[in-house]
Amino acid sequence: MGALDGLKIADFSWVGAGPRATKDLADNGATVIKIESRKRLDLGRRSPPFAGDPKDHDGSAFFAQTNTSKKSVTINLGDPRGVDVARKLVAWADVVVENFGPGYMERIGLGFDELKAIKPDIVLVSVSVAGRTGPMAGFRGYGNSAAAHSGHAAMTGWPGSDPHMPPFAYGDVVAPMFATVATLAALEHRDRTGEGQHVDASQIEPMVHVIADLYAEPDLTEKPGNDDRAMAPHGVYPCSGDENWIAIAVEDDAQWRALCSTLGDDALAADPAYVTAADRHGRRETLDATIGALTGQSDKTDLAERLAAAGVPAAPVLNGKEVLEDPELNAGGHFQKTQHPVLGESMMPAPPMHLSDTPWRVGPAPLLGEHNGEIFGALLGMDETEIARLAEAGVLA
Amino acid sequence: MTMLEGIRVVELTDRLVDFGGRMLAELGAEVVSIGSDNGTLAWQHGKQRLTDIDDDRLCSLIAEADILLDGRRKGTGPDVGDPTTANPRLVHVIARPFSADGPYAGRPATDLTLMALSGLMTVIGDPGKPPLRLPGEQAYALTGIQVATAALLGLRARRTTGKGQRIDVSAFQSATLANYREAIMYEWTGRIGHRTGNKLVRGKSGVRQVWRCADGYVTWSMIDNPGMMRSVVRIMAEEGVAGELTEIDWDNILVADTDQDTIERWQDIFARFYAAHNKAQLGEWSLKNGWGLSVIADLDEVRQSEHLAARGLFVPVTDEATGTETPLPGPLFRHGAGDAAPQRRLKQPVPIARFDGWSGS
Repeated sequence: MGALDGLKIADFSWVGAGPRATKDLADNGATVIKIESRKRLDLGRRSPPFAGDPKDHDGSAFFAQTNTSKKSVTINLGDPRGVDVARKLVAWADVVVENFGPGYMERIGLGFDELKAIKPDIVLVSVSVAGRTGPMAGFRGYGNSAAAHSGHAAMTGWPGSDPHMPPFAYGDVVAPMFATVATLAALEHRDRTGEGQHVDASQIEPMVHVIADLYAEPDLTEKPGNDDRAMAPHGVYPCSGDENWIAIAVEDDAQWRALCSTLGDDALAADPAYVTAADRHGRRETLDATIGALTGQSDKTDLAERLAAAGVPAAPVLNGKEVLEDPELNAGGHFQKTQHPVLGESMMPAPPMHLSDTPWRVGPAPLLGEHNGEIFGALLGMDETEIARLAEAGVLA
Repeated sequence: MTMLEGIRVVELTDRLVDFGGRMLAELGAEVVSIGSDNGTLAWQHGKQRLTDIDDDRLCSLIAEADILLDGRRKGTGPDVGDPTTANPRLVHVIARPFSADGPYAGRPATDLTLMALSGLMTVIGDPGKPPLRLPGEQAYALTGIQVATAALLGLRARRTTGKGQRIDVSAFQSATLANYREAIMYEWTGRIGHRTGNKLVRGKSGVRQVWRCADGYVTWSMIDNPGMMRSVVRIMAEEGVAGELTEIDWDNILVADTDQDTIERWQDIFARFYAAHNKAQLGEWSLKNGWGLSVIADLDEVRQSEHLAARGLFVPVTDEATGTETPLPGPLFRHGAGDAAPQRRLKQPVPIARFDGWSGS
């Protein structure tokens, strides 16, 4: 059994910020029914990379890795008859998750008060860029918006440079992780009190939380780059070949001596300019240049292994190919092989943990509307004629 | 009552579990933190900090706990044996840099080396310069979130099975999980991503993500969202600075399929418009018109944000050792359960022998 066997989620979320949270729950055994529509396609289904035709809404690998282990039904929420069907799913569910624009759920009659009227102990988890209250409650944006409003963009990059936006939306990663924690905590609360609740998770606030250590330094204004407050060497250094780098972090004097020895420069360890951690930190720019000159002829993987064996924290900077093929990740089950009708055999990320008694299981993402028959018929008890009539009318579409 | 009121947590701190313990404390759990590395204001406030650890006393605390967050970044720590023998209902979350018996087991690691392995650093920064990490300690933070998730999964399963269990969390995998793009991009296209500065490359061309404005910076990109593009251009046209942008049929072009020279020409027009206005004006237009543009705020501007103040994000935290008060992020999210906040204090560590024991016991 999975840790969340028996848990029922009606998942109205789309793109990245909501679906990543419900993926965590689905992989751990919850039944997650994803409410989608051909009339308002989940933009995740249109996001690259694709396994073939980009117009095939079942061929996005982005969507597939964000929606593992879920079921999919199609309901047109723009039609009141569709909302009636959605209400039946709410009555079935323990948890409703949504990340629509502000006010959408209320406009279609699925605001928290309506949900409570259907199921008094329902847990509603809303994920949005800025949250559902406050002056920016109506803000429409993306994961990158959270980087801007949280201080991440201002603090990313080299010291003295413009703000930096890496080519991924970190807010679309951190916020759903908080939403997962929120969902599980709200369920714990419900199980002890009988009370549901509305959880309002913004993307900005988790992004502030994960740099709380920067906020704990009132005088910090400059980007730290790869520097650490105490450690030196602490950086990324060139290795042989094109675009090969090694990260090295020296935490204490013993590691410093081991680093110098492994790099074949015991004299450096004895250099009075670098004896203490404070010495090294104070001269870190010069030191970084010295270390870079010593690493430049080495293979990044070989050097990292030798340094690790000597007790020095070191690792090659991996690219996407190397991540996919990394032996530790694969031995640890980070990528799970799934069989998908369109993608075929494909590697999907798993929860980064192993539970001794209730293991997770990663299944393929659903095709659009793949489970319409099962959910509308067997689960909600709608008869075939009604299902066919509503499908024909574009309600279950 | 708070979400996790009455839940008892022992945290053997070593950076990998610290933020997880902080999250559980924020949700109302009683968290006792043990370890030599437990002085960080940001991660340790709201916890009871203990020193001078006596293994027997520690084991008796764990015997009455619901959750043990067992951080093993350096592979060493107090000897707690198999704590589930004395406490079968214990959810024992062990966080290590790597899997316990995989190829990298036992290797030393820090936040920087874990981020290097995650595949994120290779795309952060500028072409021609070394890879960069994200600000703060994101591998530790991401692992901490997974530690909290693991603990709550264990509690949830315990309701069904009546038993606790051991949950092993890998920091390497936790950091890599945040990299949703690079591995699958290689798997499906054979392309390997590298650093592109502030340019976001999609399809045939790349678009800018960061723009100078009159008093700072904003983030915004030309994307294939016709409504949003029309909305920006409409204001530019009202200002008389839209130029050829007014002639573009946004419904029938794909930005991602437009050649780079054309993109650059269009972006020059946007750049002049943004440079002529300040953050407040651009932010107001974005909020009102749904541009998806965001003002890039520095740390002080975030601390002073009216929006975040209205949501109660920053709370004053007092360091008992110095008496200083620092505004730090408090609530994890807004919710309807009892909101009795944890103590907003970084407590002075006390020897375990002087600890009074769990509340209510």
